[in-house]
Amino acid sequence: MSSATATLSRKQRKGPIQKATRIRNPLSERIAPYAYVSPFFLIFIVFGLFPLVFTFYVSLFDWNPIGKQTFVGLRNFELLFADGRFWNALLNTFGIFLISTIPQLLLALFLAHLLNHARLRWANFFRMALLVPYITSVAATAIVFAQIFDKNFGLINWVLGLFGLPSVNFLATNYGSWILISAMVMWRWFGYNTLLYLAGLQSMPREMFEAASVDGASSWQQFRHLTIPSLRPIIVFSVIMSTIGGLQIFTEPLLVSPESGLTCGAGRQCQTLSLFLYEQGFGLFKFGYGSAIGVVLFVIVVLVSLLNFFLSTRTRKAR
Amino acid sequence: MKRSLTAIAATAAVLALALTGCSSGGGGKPADPNAEVSFWSFTGINAKDSVNEYAKKVPDAKVKLTEVGSTTETATALIAALAGGKVPDLVMIQNDDLPKFVENSSNFVDLRSLGGDNIAHDYLGWAAGAATAPDGSVIGIPTDVGGLGFAYRADLFEQAGLPTKPEEVAAMWKDWPSFIEMGRKYTAATGKPFVDNIETSVFFSTVNQVSEKYYSDEGKLVYDTNPQVKEAFDVAVKTHDAGISAGIAAWSSGWAPGRANGAFAVTIAPSWILKGIKTDAPDTAGKWRIASVPGVGGNWGGSVIAIPARAEHPEAAWQYIKTMMSAEGQTDHFVQSGTFPAATSAVTSQSVLDYTDPFFGDSKIGKVMATSVQQFPSFYNGPDTTPINGALLNTLVQLEAGGVTSDKAWTTALQTAKQAIGG
Repeated sequence: MSSATATLSRKQRKGPIQKATRIRNPLSERIAPYAYVSPFFLIFIVFGLFPLVFTFYVSLFDWNPIGKQTFVGLRNFELLFADGRFWNALLNTFGIFLISTIPQLLLALFLAHLLNHARLRWANFFRMALLVPYITSVAATAIVFAQIFDKNFGLINWVLGLFGLPSVNFLATNYGSWILISAMVMWRWFGYNTLLYLAGLQSMPREMFEAASVDGASSWQQFRHLTIPSLRPIIVFSVIMSTIGGLQIFTEPLLVSPESGLTCGAGRQCQTLSLFLYEQGFGLFKFGYGSAIGVVLFVIVVLVSLLNFFLSTRTRKAR
Repeated sequence: MKRSLTAIAATAAVLALALTGCSSGGGGKPADPNAEVSFWSFTGINAKDSVNEYAKKVPDAKVKLTEVGSTTETATALIAALAGGKVPDLVMIQNDDLPKFVENSSNFVDLRSLGGDNIAHDYLGWAAGAATAPDGSVIGIPTDVGGLGFAYRADLFEQAGLPTKPEEVAAMWKDWPSFIEMGRKYTAATGKPFVDNIETSVFFSTVNQVSEKYYSDEGKLVYDTNPQVKEAFDVAVKTHDAGISAGIAAWSSGWAPGRANGAFAVTIAPSWILKGIKTDAPDTAGKWRIASVPGVGGNWGGSVIAIPARAEHPEAAWQYIKTMMSAEGQTDHFVQSGTFPAATSAVTSQSVLDYTDPFFGDSKIGKVMATSVQQFPSFYNGPDTTPINGALLNTLVQLEAGGVTSDKAWTTALQTAKQAIGG
């Protein structure tokens, strides 16, 4: 950070602003901006950067928090890539991420389009209602969803039973538990994304849509050729945020199956990477191994975010 | 410019020091048995009652109680504290979390240095043994044990034509094959499952009725070759094959409703679970009974109290343990809050043996629990006991969910266990 500070100041010295400030007290004037932004950076260093770097460091050790710490080099990563539980968690993470994010963003886009309609009654009520799942505690959501999806006495299986269908043990299979968790994630976040899109839509001039209507564009044509292109920056933002959140999904799988502890199902059906990290690090106190999982997760999130960014900028250029 | 940079660096350094350098520890103060003791407990064990009782017994003493959270959360907080934070003077550790701490026993005060070499002799041998390191140092004193019994629905048993009195029931399921046979009769008569699940209600009992579990007495891993473990596992598989299990895992979303609506007639009952049955199924008051499990001996749960090595007031902490963990103190605590005592003479005391509860049809709960812990065999538990246990239990859950077949269950369990301990 200090080298960046130095370069900035050197540039500043040559600039015209520098001359003006020299009349007053130059030193305090020069320090002040840094002092103003310093709280964020100090806190970031202590709680953001340091843990990140330290995680990389710990991942090279067999690290017992209350006992011996031995340097093992890249052994943790070797073990990790040979560990079936890791690949299972990776698959679960991407499975849940895809099932929850894609329908969710499409739904949000659709709802935002509806809510933006000029003649919608009680629009404000609907807009506020969207936020209710978002402000509901995840723990409460998890308990309710687990009950709804329960094998023996759940609402869904009761309805299935009315039609004479056999009951489904959602938590027992990969796909079943992914659907259960994705439902929770969607429930929680679709309102948030809808409001993001809605805010974007509202900042667009209404005349544009009116002109399109006058020209005879159908609702779908307006959606396809006006709404989506003008929302592109917000869509890119929400996709990247959902990716980062989706790949680190933790609370839902932790709480949905309390009977199986930290594995989310007896066969790790819905254990995500974050939960696997937590199980190894804080459940079994294998801090080195847990840190190695953290490092890999970090790399994956960076790669996927870069990919998103690359794809979205490329499509923009292509147009 | 140089100066301003230095100033920023200095500020950062001071801040960093202020943030991290706050744990230089005590020392130099004279040992005061009435110094304020910081005490970390978990929720659900009513440590507050004990602390209040202590205040009555030793009016000058001060205890600052923190209920950290669940047993696991308390253990995690303790690990973090031991690794480099401010440690409490007294801490409760649940038995499942204990092996990790015993393995790193230098983090705790060897209680023999405060109470003499024989301090552990007043407690149930296996309970004290669980808190004793291989070098003989005693890192914790047992505060309570779980005990084990079966809770069953007398009304449902009657409908199925089975005996209803706890003594008769216990005599009828004198061993595990007879238990399965009873289940067959029940299911044939009612069309409903007999027991809630095979992992906690059957395997958890059978695997603890052994002379050696996952480790040999010398501390070698033998879970994969020990015939007693396989036998215990097979009983659970046979229970599943008999079609008498509801496949409702403990604490799963169907468990509480199942206790209330008769989806199963038998469930595992260590002393601390009884309160949960009352809360989950208040309408079944008077219908439940408590009887010994087949094979009688058993335990689930329990905890110890320990003093971290860096504690500021170990003497004051020891005074608390000495006062409250005596047989008399544990009996009082049992009468008040139902945590089953671990001190040998408390287990055999009349007030424990006579304990009954109308919710459970006045079954002799105290006697059932006392017999189970007295007959509980002593075996060595190592650092990997908990993960191996988890792997075997999880395989049984999968068996009930249809994820694995009966003939492959044992090999799957061994593979999962092997993976869990990284071997």
